[in-house]
Amino acid sequence: MSEALIQVRGLKKHYNNGAVKAIDGVDIDIHKGEVVVVIGPSGSGKSTFLRSLNLLEMPTEGQIIFDGEDINGKKADINLHRQKMGMVFQHFNLFPHKNVLGNITMAPMKLKKMSRSEAEKKAMGLLDMVHLADKAEVFPAQLSGGQKQRIAIARALAMDPDVMLFDEPTSALDPEMVGEVLDIMKQLAREGMTMVVVTHEMGFAKEVGSRVIFFDRGRIKEENNPQEFFANPKEPRLKEFLSKVLI
Amino acid sequence: MGEWFAELSQKFATCFIEDGRWKWLLEGLGNTMLITLGALVIGIIVGIIIAAVRSTYDMNGAAMKKRGGAGYVFLKIANTICSLYLTVIRGTPVVVQLLIMYFVILVNVTNGVLVAVIAFGINSAAYIAEIFRGGIMSIDEGQFEAGRSLGFNYVQTMCFIILPQTIKVVLPTLFNEFIALIKETSIAGYVGVMDLTKAGDKIRGRTFEAFMPLIAVAVVYLVIVIILTQILKVIEKKLRKGERRR
Repeated sequence: MSEALIQVRGLKKHYNNGAVKAIDGVDIDIHKGEVVVVIGPSGSGKSTFLRSLNLLEMPTEGQIIFDGEDINGKKADINLHRQKMGMVFQHFNLFPHKNVLGNITMAPMKLKKMSRSEAEKKAMGLLDMVHLADKAEVFPAQLSGGQKQRIAIARALAMDPDVMLFDEPTSALDPEMVGEVLDIMKQLAREGMTMVVVTHEMGFAKEVGSRVIFFDRGRIKEENNPQEFFANPKEPRLKEFLSKVLI
Repeated sequence: MGEWFAELSQKFATCFIEDGRWKWLLEGLGNTMLITLGALVIGIIVGIIIAAVRSTYDMNGAAMKKRGGAGYVFLKIANTICSLYLTVIRGTPVVVQLLIMYFVILVNVTNGVLVAVIAFGINSAAYIAEIFRGGIMSIDEGQFEAGRSLGFNYVQTMCFIILPQTIKVVLPTLFNEFIALIKETSIAGYVGVMDLTKAGDKIRGRTFEAFMPLIAVAVVYLVIVIILTQILKVIEKKLRKGERRR
């Protein structure tokens, strides 16, 4: 196994002075090129865990070591680290005041001081990859949900991240648009991108996951390779969960 | 009929042409516009600063508190000052503020127009701050998270992502504040400023004709407001172009 890209140690996220424990002690190593799929019932803390990885949620305690530095430490420059952690949201969160090209080129131009022509060339390459090159000049409001999500993936990739975080990327989509987004994610996985994916798409987990993690009550209850995970679940809570989602 | 018309034009001449009294109205209109625009500039600048402090405290305060340091203490003090400012300004009548400004705080400043600009600017800032804060808060939190997740810091996210969207949201309300401000400045006469209203009143005092000058003043205000409202419609239409709401 290659070196760990992200090491999470003793991660906790509590609300109301500990009355609510969204994450209650999580340790995990995420290695380069791995696709870690996180599943679990709603309210289990899986999204909070994912959002803690780039500090969109401030952990109550614990370490997140990325690039050799604890990004939850007081001295870490989280903005620099976030540039290397792409994030895709359930509700796309495209910038409505910018067209597709503007959405993708904004961060490389402002943060990496890339020239406009260079950034646009890169953006067009990414749009080709997500099969939306013809939408470059269109505004987000004129796109379908699936198209928006593919643009959102391209926007995150434009910063050349070391890892991509997906927070239920297909949960807000019409069923017939789920496939087009998953196809892009599968392609990314095949190209060796490190990915952490919170999802309810068990098919995706089976097909491209290197590891599947089951979250319950803020803890990792079970983790295994996808074959074993789905064929021989050990935890009763996971068995119950799988019996409900795998009809 | 002819007699009535002759009398009317006689009164018109007395009110506006004799002694060049129309020039008073013109001067008054000039001062009204000067006070309004000056106050608006102050109001927008101070208002945005207050809105930025208050929304930063609301949205980013917890994260800053955790990181600790002088930044958070400074923010907390600034937020308290801003809250106090809003409470005092919005809790007292603007006429009283204007009088206090003229007779107490800026007692050495003899230029009434300048005092009026400052007084109305400070008053307007409180309302504009709340307009902007409401606008910032109305932007979906996901926009903020998307900006931060790409690596933009708080200020960059505000400038590149949140404020451009906020301006579209607040522009109609902001323009309404502008329109309200024009009418509000009609109390500038309290501190001896010859604004449009005062000019009309001066004509009334000299000619003992109330109808003509006061109606004229009302018509001028009305025309300005109607023109501005039309401009607002054009701006709103332009802003909507290309982008529809989600």
